[in-house]
This record gives sequence, C-alpha cells and structure tokens, in this order.
Amino acid sequence: MSAEAPPSPQPPASPARMGNSPDDKDLVAQALAGDRAAFGVVVERYAAQARRVARAVLGDPDDADDAAQDGFLSALVKLAQYDARRPFGPWLMRIVANAATDRRRRRNVRRAEPLDPSLVGGGPRPDALAVRSELGDRLRAALAELSERRRTAVVLFDVEGYSHGEIAGILGIPEGTVRSEVFHGRRRLRTLLADWKEQVT
Amino acid sequence: MNEDLELRAALKAALEPKGDQAAFVARVMAQYDNALERSTIPALDVLASWFRPGIAAAALIAGLFFGRAALAPASPAAAESIDAAMAPAEGTGLAALVTAQDPPDPSVVFTSLVEPQ
Repeated sequence: MSAEAPPSPQPPASPARMGNSPDDKDLVAQALAGDRAAFGVVVERYAAQARRVARAVLGDPDDADDAAQDGFLSALVKLAQYDARRPFGPWLMRIVANAATDRRRRRNVRRAEPLDPSLVGGGPRPDALAVRSELGDRLRAALAELSERRRTAVVLFDVEGYSHGEIAGILGIPEGTVRSEVFHGRRRLRTLLADWKEQVT
Repeated sequence: MNEDLELRAALKAALEPKGDQAAFVARVMAQYDNALERSTIPALDVLASWFRPGIAAAALIAGLFFGRAALAPASPAAAESIDAAMAPAEGTGLAALVTAQDPPDPSVVFTSLVEPQ
C-alpha cells in the first residue's frame, strides 16, 4: 500500500449516473412480466457500457462481446432477484463483470497477459487516425498490465461514471480498496498519457 | 482536471466496442428464448434426475424390509405371548375385549396382555 492518500475524484457524468431513473425500473418490471421488447430496450441502453466493462476485464473485444452477451442473458434469468429500490446499472454491471471474469477463468488466461498484437493492429490509416489508434493501443496495453480488479475499477469509475461505493458493490470489495485501485490505476494511465502527449508534440 | 477529462475520453475511445451496436443487441435478443428455456429446463431435469433414483431407492428399501420380514423366523417368545394374549381367559383377554359392547376398563387391557395364563 502506498503512503500517498488516494484523492477523491468525482466520477464523470455519464448514463451510468442516471441508472436509477424510473425508466430503468419500469423497463425491468415490464421485462420481468415477460415483455421481450422492454428487455430489448434495456440491452440497447446498456450494451455499450457492458461491452466496455467486459473488454476491460478480458482485453479481447470478441471475447468481451461474448461475455457481455452472457451477462445480459444471465441478468434476464435473474431479473426477479433485482431489488428495484437500488440502481439497475451497478446490478447489471456486476453480472457482466462476473460473466467476463468467468470467461477469463475458463480460458485460463493469465491475469496480466499482454494483448495480442493482432487485435490492436490495423491497416494503413490517415495520420490523425493512426495517432489516435496508437494511443488506443498504448492505453489498452497499459490497461492489460494492471490487475483485472484495478483496470475494471478504473474503467467503471472513469469511463462509466460509477461512484466508489457503486464499484465496491459491483466488484464485491470494500470502498477503500476501490479508492486505492482507482488511484493507482489512474496514476499509471496518466503517466502513459503524458508521455504520449510529449512524444506527439 | 483537464488531464482527467483527457484520460476519460482516451480510455473510452480505447475500449469502444468494435462491432455494430445494433448487431450486438440483435445477437443478445436472438438468445432471449433459449436463455429463458435453459433457466427452466435444467430445474426440471434436476427434479427428474432426483425422481428416478428416489423411486429406485424407495423400492429397494421396501424390498429389503419385506424380504427381511419374510425370511426372518418367527420368534417363539412372540408367538407364545400372542397365543397367550389371544387365549380366552376367564372374563378377560383379547377375545373378550374385541367382542365387548362397551369400552373396557384400562386395567382389563393391561392385565389381558400381562397376566400369565
């Protein structure tokens, strides 16, 4: 544990922050009553988020999509267990993160395995896109170096906008641990981003 | 603060899904019925898998009890006591008890079973 005290940054505003809207609850209630279309709206609403969270855990985008799908279908089956007094997003993301972790375990992939270069490479691109793509490659590689828990915490906080408390619920760890994981993960990624900016300029 | 925003944007871009969102939603929804079926069928399967061995075990246990009862020699002591109990005694005994019109006195019941002939 570092001597530095993790600061308390605020998560960004994102759809995750609005996860407690009555809409979600209504949709879940309709889906629970067997309304297929309502469940479809839930999937549409959370698809991008679930795919990113699964990708944070797994690295590989195709595996991530499989895991996100597993997560949605698992949520469908467990919908009756959802407590409507709580926000739906964290509940769903917990299921998605667990599905991704299960998939990762099943495939016996090492925790800090570097990303397959074939997954992040691509054909010739215009310069601006190439530069942007290079940053993406670097960030994904840096994320892959972090522990699964740390990178998932960072992505849930920074990208999806969940609070430390919500992430604690999603990952099933104490809030203090989440703060520490987010702090150390962001520090590593910030350093990488600063280096990259220096190189580009 | 600016750094945070940049990091967030860069991370989001780096993790952006590759394929089409609509295709992903369609893919999930294509499994909707299967998922619901899978969630119910295994439970029935489990019950069915318990049912068959349960029936077999009950039949086996019943068979053992019947076999044991059929093969065991009758106990002479038990036979004696039943004979003794059934033997018409003077005024008491099971024969008198079962043919009586009124409920018997408890002492009669006990003595009919315990009283030596």
